[in-house]
Amino acid sequence: MNIERTFPIFAAAFAVIYIFAVEQNWALFTYHPRIREWGWLMEPARSGPAMHWYGWLATSALGAAAVSLVALPFTRRWTPPLWLGWVIPLIVMVVFVYLLRGFFLR
Amino acid sequence: MTTVLLIVHALVAVALIGGITHQAFAACWPARRKEGFFTSFRAVAGARYTNANVVLYLAAVVLGALIYPAYRLSVRTYLESARLWSYNGPFEVKEQFVTVGLGMLPLFWWVWREPLDPAKAGARAAVTAILCFIVWYSFVVGHVLNNIRGLFGQ
Repeated sequence: MNIERTFPIFAAAFAVIYIFAVEQNWALFTYHPRIREWGWLMEPARSGPAMHWYGWLATSALGAAAVSLVALPFTRRWTPPLWLGWVIPLIVMVVFVYLLRGFFLR
Repeated sequence: MTTVLLIVHALVAVALIGGITHQAFAACWPARRKEGFFTSFRAVAGARYTNANVVLYLAAVVLGALIYPAYRLSVRTYLESARLWSYNGPFEVKEQFVTVGLGMLPLFWWVWREPLDPAKAGARAAVTAILCFIVWYSFVVGHVLNNIRGLFGQ
């Protein structure tokens, strides 16, 4: 088995899981910067703002690694197309601009 | 400490912007002869930049993650109180773009692994161009936000 063949799948899965993590707030952990405390999963603000980006990042990395591991046995006979690894992230980037359009249209 | 990290973050970004731009031009618009400045800029051996660019991208993300709490507590609060939504928005977009680029790094490393596979030339150009765009966008947004009080402060 060649783990490198799963890299296009990893890139695509990472981007797709990340956008869902942001939109659905699937944060693996939350950081509270004012009181410098960490909490598991998505937590509401304790004191000051709560930061979920670190948690979204961890969710995406673990999720994409899991998807790549599941796909690994299939890559013996099947080579995932390389475009998966850049077309899907590019689409996700465009969707993010659309989702964040409110900042620019006020 | 945050100021030191911010300066190092910026210096790493400067090195990354040089490396990734060279590599993107080498992939998307290669040149064989080194006649002038611009042609020489495109005529580099792109693969030589791969490991350095991966390390620099990771370093920039780690440094950015370290200074992010300070940004969240002071800069973003200022942007919101000053109602500078059109400057807050680009940072939100930068955050998402950089993260998506992070997931593309293994593929980026693979398509540039030597000996270069001609079958991967298209993906090589596309992945490198996307990462180059992310780095340039992030650099400009970060630079403007770093100077936001000077640009818009009282």
